[in-house]
Amino acid sequence: MTASSAPRPPTLQRSHEQGLVAPRRAAVVAVAFFSVTGAWWFVLSQANGRLPTPATVVTRSLGFLGDLLGASTDTAPAYTTFEAWRWIGELVGDTLVMSVLAMGVAGVGMLLTLAPASRRIMIGDAGADRRVFARSALVLVRGTHAILRGVPELIWAMLIVFVLRPGILAGALALALHETGVLGRLASDVVDDLDVHPLRSLRSAGAGSGQLLAYGALPQVLPQLITFLLYRWEVVIRATVVVGFITGAGLGHALRLSLSFRRWTEVALILLAYVLLVWLVEIAAMSLRRLAR
Amino acid sequence: MTRAVEHRLVGVRPRPRGRTALSVILFGAVALAILRLDHPTGLLHQGGGQALARIARSVLSPDLSPAFLAIVAAAAMLTIAYAVTGMTVALLIAIPGAIIVSGALIDDRAVRWTVSTGARGLFGALRAIHELVWALLFLTILGLTPLAGVLAIGIPYGATLARVLGEHLQNVPREPLEALVTAGASRWQQLVYVRVPIASANMFAYVAYRFECAVRAAAVLSFIGLGGIGYRLTLSLHDLRFDRAWTLIGALVVTIAAIDVASGRVRRRLTA
Repeated sequence: MTASSAPRPPTLQRSHEQGLVAPRRAAVVAVAFFSVTGAWWFVLSQANGRLPTPATVVTRSLGFLGDLLGASTDTAPAYTTFEAWRWIGELVGDTLVMSVLAMGVAGVGMLLTLAPASRRIMIGDAGADRRVFARSALVLVRGTHAILRGVPELIWAMLIVFVLRPGILAGALALALHETGVLGRLASDVVDDLDVHPLRSLRSAGAGSGQLLAYGALPQVLPQLITFLLYRWEVVIRATVVVGFITGAGLGHALRLSLSFRRWTEVALILLAYVLLVWLVEIAAMSLRRLAR
Repeated sequence: MTRAVEHRLVGVRPRPRGRTALSVILFGAVALAILRLDHPTGLLHQGGGQALARIARSVLSPDLSPAFLAIVAAAAMLTIAYAVTGMTVALLIAIPGAIIVSGALIDDRAVRWTVSTGARGLFGALRAIHELVWALLFLTILGLTPLAGVLAIGIPYGATLARVLGEHLQNVPREPLEALVTAGASRWQQLVYVRVPIASANMFAYVAYRFECAVRAAAVLSFIGLGGIGYRLTLSLHDLRFDRAWTLIGALVVTIAAIDVASGRVRRRLTA
């Protein structure tokens, strides 16, 4: 690629590479380098010169680890008492319920927006006749998905607590809004990639768009969609904790309180439960995915 | 695939056995979750309906005054800068991490398996914790410093990248590798001349996708008090300025869409 590569006859190809691609690549590298340095400068300038030294970072982190293990408490560490584990069990249950509800709502949202978000069903070879209507529905639904997806769960949660009572349901809805955007996009891509032959046969037999969806598209894509749903559940369970900060439910809420009351061994227990919950959900989702095949 | 073709020819498609069980489990789980909710009634809180109406109405009239747009632009720049710095740390972790996870440099089979599985487990645990939880932990350890935000993105993203990029390096076709082995290439040479070039397009695509996620993550990090879109959003919501909140949300969506388009272009050039 570069000028130092083995000598070749001066073809058009070579002059093209040297004359155009090499300087452009150098420019890309330069731009990347300057943006990264600029970003670091911008971020570190936010500290107003009060940056901790690496040594401070290490000593404080080690001190924090000691706190988590119970070095700074006189009472028994939370992870050794039965009551604390029962308390954590309840919180884990709430968190699980929140994530399952979120996936349920997002799954329904995905199925409801499946047809209008699919290019193939709306305007492709299997398409409806009302083209203007179909096209505008497509753009509208895809745009909605992009917005739902572009806004993080946490920001949805911050908006939702103005409307709903804080709790599990508010958190579940915030998660579901973001997930509907993600799953809607994934699902419409799957429908657009599916085998068109059954759809064409149905179409030529006089099926309408609804029948096309029910008998042609859904049976083909449903296993794939459920697999996606289970994959996303693994992502959602992590985010559930974060949404809990805002909507006051589950492990996230408890973590926030324990951190602000500086009850370090409780923090340790919550983090432990969190990691275990994520693993549990990963294992459950994996075995359920096997059933979908 | 062949099974599907066969069934289409026969015209009958027997229902796979696991499916019924799966449907029962999924519907059952959602039903149980609904039953565990404490208060199915009284969902809205007082004035919730009015708040919803105000939030919905202000979508149509976002604050587009030049003064506020300047603030939004600066906040968006800072959020992107956090994402870039976080990704730098993530790549510093991920590049050696991916090589360790792939086990591409280790000759002995047993050692390779142990190291690879161990690294995978470690990165899995780091990744299990959400970036905002990391942010809260670093906030507790270091106090309110931009470094908390950078590390909070860098550590979980580095772990995820190490795992996924490691798998990309592992799953390269056998033939070119074997060709190099018979030519007497060392494991380093196999890595540099076969594994990396073959996996590079996929690896770039994944890094670009994670960068997009990092922008979203950086936007919510400001929840702990660091500057950026999320911080401005928190302020706007505290002031009940939903018109400003929608402008900020719009800026975030546009930023992420722009990154998506740009990375798609680069990716197409890489694969072409």
